[in-house]
Amino acid sequence: MYMSVAELVDAAKTAKKPIYELMIEQEIKISKTSREEIVKTMSRNLDVMEIAVKKGAEGDGVFSPTGLTGGEAVKIKKYRATGKTLSGDIMMQAVQNAISTNEVNSSMGVVCATPTAGSAGTLPGVIFTLRDRLNLTREQMVNCLFTAGAFGMIIANNAEIAGATGGCQAEVGSASAMGAAAAVEVAGGTPDQCSEALAMAISNLMGLVCDPVAGLVELPCVKRNAIGVGNAMIAADMALAGLTNKIPADEVIAAMHKVGKGLPKALRETGLGGLAATPTGIRMKEKIFGKSRDRD
Amino acid sequence: MTVNYKSVFDIIGPIMIGPSSSHTAGACAIGRAANSIFKDKPTDIVIHYYESFAQTHKGHGTDYAIISGILGFAPDDSRLPYAIGLAQEQGINITFIEEPENSPINHPNTAIVDLKNDSKQITVAGCSVGGGTIEIREIKMDGFDIKPKGPLPILLVQGEEDEQQNVTAQLANLTKINAQQKYQSSKGNLYEYDLDSRLKAHEIDELVRNNDKIVYL
Repeated sequence: MYMSVAELVDAAKTAKKPIYELMIEQEIKISKTSREEIVKTMSRNLDVMEIAVKKGAEGDGVFSPTGLTGGEAVKIKKYRATGKTLSGDIMMQAVQNAISTNEVNSSMGVVCATPTAGSAGTLPGVIFTLRDRLNLTREQMVNCLFTAGAFGMIIANNAEIAGATGGCQAEVGSASAMGAAAAVEVAGGTPDQCSEALAMAISNLMGLVCDPVAGLVELPCVKRNAIGVGNAMIAADMALAGLTNKIPADEVIAAMHKVGKGLPKALRETGLGGLAATPTGIRMKEKIFGKSRDRD
Repeated sequence: MTVNYKSVFDIIGPIMIGPSSSHTAGACAIGRAANSIFKDKPTDIVIHYYESFAQTHKGHGTDYAIISGILGFAPDDSRLPYAIGLAQEQGINITFIEEPENSPINHPNTAIVDLKNDSKQITVAGCSVGGGTIEIREIKMDGFDIKPKGPLPILLVQGEEDEQQNVTAQLANLTKINAQQKYQSSKGNLYEYDLDSRLKAHEIDELVRNNDKIVYL
């Protein structure tokens, strides 16, 4: 099992194989399941992602039971149609895909956790945008998920992917890093560039706190996926342009783990700090759950 | 290092009803573990939440998710949001308690599940480590106080030494056994196996067919 980014990158270079291939080979070995079955399962995950990417941006969109979030993927879609976006249509398409997915999640719809539900929009945001940008085949998109998974496993086993243990950097930060690395590989970058993209993506979101208003995966989670996808695309482009992070990926992951451990409890998915503790955040919580629940 | 994530599908997956992989899908997984251990319909369910689970269970749908797991539903089952009503219709009493102290199993996403009916009672302490993956850190059943290291899969079997040897032999053909632990109570012996990789559905079925006391988590 690949336990570090350096080990994974070295293996890819030595074997002259793409990272997704190494991931599939490892999965065959560990799960004792056929390649065909593994690819089929991953393809089903991609189906679920595609449905969520579409669903939140259709008609009036989807809304959460609390009404705190929803309908904003549709607003982006309409705005894109004006052709006047400041950051360009590709970037805003990525943002739309990410927000759509997380609006589906907040509405208690079906998503594929990548690596978590709160960060479920980031990776599909990257992949379904690159599908149109690079004319990806279905097979290439499935391979992207294996590449992302290979890096995600290393992050999860060396650090963490839960907001309650590591803050949002561990969720959207990890998702963004996985997306960045997968984007680099599918765009023709080298394994080293994948590693650099991952390192830059995590470095840029280092310290991001988990502060959900009323403890709900809505504010600011849905829009954090917009920054996750944007950061992934930018990190991938920087790596493909030949930029390096200088601090190696494995050290960045270790640093994220230490930062996560140092975050106070109020900023680790308790809904007690950050935006959740603003006067408006507290009012929203009281409106939804009543005052009796508060004990802070 | 604790290797909790052994499969690519632990990271890309599960397919689940939102909104949170740790507080919804993970809670469902803790409920499913309790269901696998109890192997029966409970009359009373008491859930103790700690730390992040105590603070945010309502917002995350943790309540219906954990109950749906106890009913045996998967994280993507469309009945998941309605699980509490479905359980109450079956006459099951449900209590949720927000515990003010720190988690006794030392994790911010902790739920301790008490299940009972006329014939038995169990306690299962689980924590949700992220992305829908869980650890089970304590199980109280039949007078045994089992304290697994955490990462799944785990297999438990009650019985005499010959049964244990039989199970060990069967498991050796299926996966690597990372650790084994023997527990004793007035009810006899219980053996815990920490397995290196997950077993397939048909392999579990066969083990259980040979010995219905086997619990696979």
